[in-house]
Amino acid sequence: MSGTDQLSAVFSALADPTRRAILAELADRDATVTELTAPFQISMPAVSRHLKTLEQAGLISRTRSGKLRMSRLEAAPLHDAADWIERFRRFWDTSLTRLDAHLAAIQAAERTTHSKEH
Amino acid sequence: MDTETPQLVISRVFDAPRQLVYRAFTDPDHVAAWWGPIGDSLPRDEMEFDVRPGGYQRWTEVFPAQPDLRVHIHIDLTDVADGELLDGVIHVTGRLPGGFEPFETRFRVEFHDEPDGRTRLEIRQWLPAHLTGPSEQGWTEAFSKLDALLTSVEA
Repeated sequence: MSGTDQLSAVFSALADPTRRAILAELADRDATVTELTAPFQISMPAVSRHLKTLEQAGLISRTRSGKLRMSRLEAAPLHDAADWIERFRRFWDTSLTRLDAHLAAIQAAERTTHSKEH
Repeated sequence: MDTETPQLVISRVFDAPRQLVYRAFTDPDHVAAWWGPIGDSLPRDEMEFDVRPGGYQRWTEVFPAQPDLRVHIHIDLTDVADGELLDGVIHVTGRLPGGFEPFETRFRVEFHDEPDGRTRLEIRQWLPAHLTGPSEQGWTEAFSKLDALLTSVEA
């Protein structure tokens, strides 16, 4: 993981639905700001601002090809974000499996104690 | 109560009565038996529990096979209903396994009766506020889209 600040920027960038939609567009292909403006009901400067936020979060890179400035999806930070959630899912899965075994063991012990009393 | 959608929701049924499952979360001897990955250890003399609204649960997690790791868990309990609910914030500090940085996370654990003396546990967890940003957007939606996106990226 590349640190909390990076992850913070990623989550903050992902929190906006338009930015997520832009990322979904870029998952298909690299695109210019003009191409990315077409599907959305917002202005080109607004799309540019979203692209800047995404770039600062490391979610996209922008390259110049002749006169065209192309945006490209960078998948690594997305994986970091998903990884954070996944680690917790695994943590709970392991702990709760141990809890299940623990509950079974103490109930079995209680039953044994109980039957000895009778 | 946090109105924002939790990022992590886990539901699991245990073949044990509700009061016993609740005790497994609120009695230090029980918690020491199941918390964390296999191979960790919770020194009993470093466990301090005061389970009530406004109370706390504190312990240290050590890993005999990795002596450089030492995790401090401090849980501030905001809301507690005996046998039914634990709600609060987990503060995790120290040297953590798996490359985790210290963090804090809001959680809510609900204990529900199921037929035949079983108990359903509902665990909800929210990512730290500084990670999620100021958005009111539902995270379930965000992550289902993210999942789809990751699939298409990997394809």
